[in-house]
Amino acid sequence: MGATLTYENSFVRFVRWVYAGVDRTLFMGMKFTFPGRFVSPLGFLGMLTFIMFIILGITGALLMLWYEPILDRAWSSVENINDTIPYGFHMRNIHYHASNAMVMIALLHMYYQYFSGRYKIRNEILWVTGIILGVLTILEAFTGYDIIFSERAELAISIAASLTNSIPVLGPQMREAFFGAGFHDFILRFYAFHVFLLPIAMLGLMVVHFPRFLVFDVPMVMAVSGAVTLTGGVFPVGLGLPFEPQTPPGLTVPEWYLTGLYAFLRTQYDKFVTGVAWPGLFIFALLIVPFIDKYKKFSWKDRPIVTAIGITSLAQIIVTTYWGFYIDPDRNKALLERLVIDPIFFYTVMILLVPLSFGFTYMIIKLAKHAEANAKLQPKKAPKGAINISQKWLYVLFITLLAFQVYLNISAYYAVLQGMKNYSLFIIGIIMLVFAAMFHIYRYGRTRVKAPPPKPTPPAPFRPAAAPKPAPTTTTAPQKPMAAPPTVTARVSSEQMAQLAQQQQQQQKHAASEGGGDGSAKTGQTFDRAQPTSAASKEGQDKKTL
Amino acid sequence: MAQTPPAIGGRVSRRDFLKLMAAAGTVMTFTPFVDWGKFLPNPVSSQGERAKAELADGTVANVNTFQVNHSEVIIYPKSDDPVLNQEAFRTWQLIRLPTELGGDRNDASAFRAYSMICLHLWCLWKYWPEEGRKRGECPCHGSLYDPLTGLSFAGPASLQGPPSNVLPKLDLEIDSNGDILILPPTWDPNANGIVGYGRYLNV
Repeated sequence: MGATLTYENSFVRFVRWVYAGVDRTLFMGMKFTFPGRFVSPLGFLGMLTFIMFIILGITGALLMLWYEPILDRAWSSVENINDTIPYGFHMRNIHYHASNAMVMIALLHMYYQYFSGRYKIRNEILWVTGIILGVLTILEAFTGYDIIFSERAELAISIAASLTNSIPVLGPQMREAFFGAGFHDFILRFYAFHVFLLPIAMLGLMVVHFPRFLVFDVPMVMAVSGAVTLTGGVFPVGLGLPFEPQTPPGLTVPEWYLTGLYAFLRTQYDKFVTGVAWPGLFIFALLIVPFIDKYKKFSWKDRPIVTAIGITSLAQIIVTTYWGFYIDPDRNKALLERLVIDPIFFYTVMILLVPLSFGFTYMIIKLAKHAEANAKLQPKKAPKGAINISQKWLYVLFITLLAFQVYLNISAYYAVLQGMKNYSLFIIGIIMLVFAAMFHIYRYGRTRVKAPPPKPTPPAPFRPAAAPKPAPTTTTAPQKPMAAPPTVTARVSSEQMAQLAQQQQQQQKHAASEGGGDGSAKTGQTFDRAQPTSAASKEGQDKKTL
Repeated sequence: MAQTPPAIGGRVSRRDFLKLMAAAGTVMTFTPFVDWGKFLPNPVSSQGERAKAELADGTVANVNTFQVNHSEVIIYPKSDDPVLNQEAFRTWQLIRLPTELGGDRNDASAFRAYSMICLHLWCLWKYWPEEGRKRGECPCHGSLYDPLTGLSFAGPASLQGPPSNVLPKLDLEIDSNGDILILPPTWDPNANGIVGYGRYLNV
């Protein structure tokens, strides 16, 4: 025992054995990276969509224990979940808000990939499967909010079934085959679609859609999950009124991701054209866009037409979504007058948005290029000094957050005891956010701990110039050991270079001894024994592929 | 295999023939499953007898008690299963027409029974007896229906081509007690119409 440099107990050996076994499976073909510092959230959007999918899967599976997809019991079983089952309220609200978050994050993810030009040149398959996944996500969310069978759900089911029915030639047969012959069938089949068929299809597509490199950022995941939970506490979703066939429902508006479609339906124009053909055309346009985009460059600034088309689509989505929400509140007016959107006005606005968006894009690109040119002229500013917290204050901060966690835990517990379910959900959201902060601080602390000691033994007397230098190198280099290497090296002067190399050598030796001399296992888990150079280059690679 | 392709009318190569057999075999193997698609739709059941028009409170609609310019919801075909009776596709508006449309006559011509499924997007419309309205209105997109014929005269349903602009209806009869009976319907656009699809007017 005394001979080995590392302490390896049987548990560690077991974990290593499992890892070696799992290494032979498909799962390990994907490279997971846990970045050692804060990275732009935009690159995480795809991963966050998947996290939402997982959260929805877990909460959904639990909700399945209580939900009953039968006409007369669907609404009351949801009411039971919401009001009497312990933590049913929490499950349902997280499920609901995570579904909205998933649709929203998927949309943002799509537009980020679109404007950054990552969707073309060998990424077409990823893009096409992504679009299909997006459509399935909306269908999944739609079938989900329908099976509550409240008044609003009943309207939504009717609209979905009748739109299917309106498809020329095959419509009625398709409706019969997919949805059955009435609301009893509709609700049961929507449930089957929601909990099994659509998720299975999505999982299959995800296998194709996943890039080979995944960046998994724990604080980011926790922060977004916390935000979803917190939102569930602040805006708990209602049950709506149960649907009664004897009393026809009043006016209702669908979920926000469908109000755009609803606005089109309200123009009174043919339901097949407005409800099936227009959205179908939009989806088709999205599918073929990477094959049309012939620009050689990637940046949105260098692809003016494609950027303008993207901005136009965004503008039209926003306008139609808002328009779909708006119903004239004057109850004295006839229903028809309140509901119907004048198609001429509506389509004129849609068409007007095209030149406006193109003009806006032109202006933005001009401004961006101008700013770029200006930035080139001016001397390079020194990068912003990172927040530098001393070891002592790091501990103080950590302990403060821990105490806050304890306080929040007690509050959440008492909130449940008092029956304040939404308040407890809110607090749990905050607990998750605090966890995200704690993890970030922990990660920051680790990089500091692993940094070479501030005053290493002066290496050699033959380089006197290096002796006064260690201070700046220890504050800049180890602080962001996994930052993109070029910026770090660029700032280091030639004489510092030698010093840095020496330090790295030292560190490598250190890491090698820590890893028990097993260099191959180390490369897989960059997050663990992080080695500045290799991790940084790996991360740079990841950022490119994502 | 460096053979030149056979001329038209020439002999099929042995390999091509084998491929053809394999393809035919595959098609034959999977053909029976096409018909299995019938598993998906719900088989239709039809009703052969005349049924009484039962109201929500359990009583049978009667000519002598049913008010003029008034409507009630009836379930047809009524099932023994209370759950299936909540089916929107089985809900019908039984309307006694207003006086100016002949609602004070004491026979079946004073009554109308239309499917409550709006022909536009299948929301449930309802008859509004107020002065100045006296029509069926759909809450979703505002289709308006004429109580006399079931024709949609305004709103998105009115813009749909026939038969999707006229509501399906049930034929009614009145027995010696004054109770309203529903005649067995024929679910066809040229007869009683198809729920959610429509009916041709005056055929």
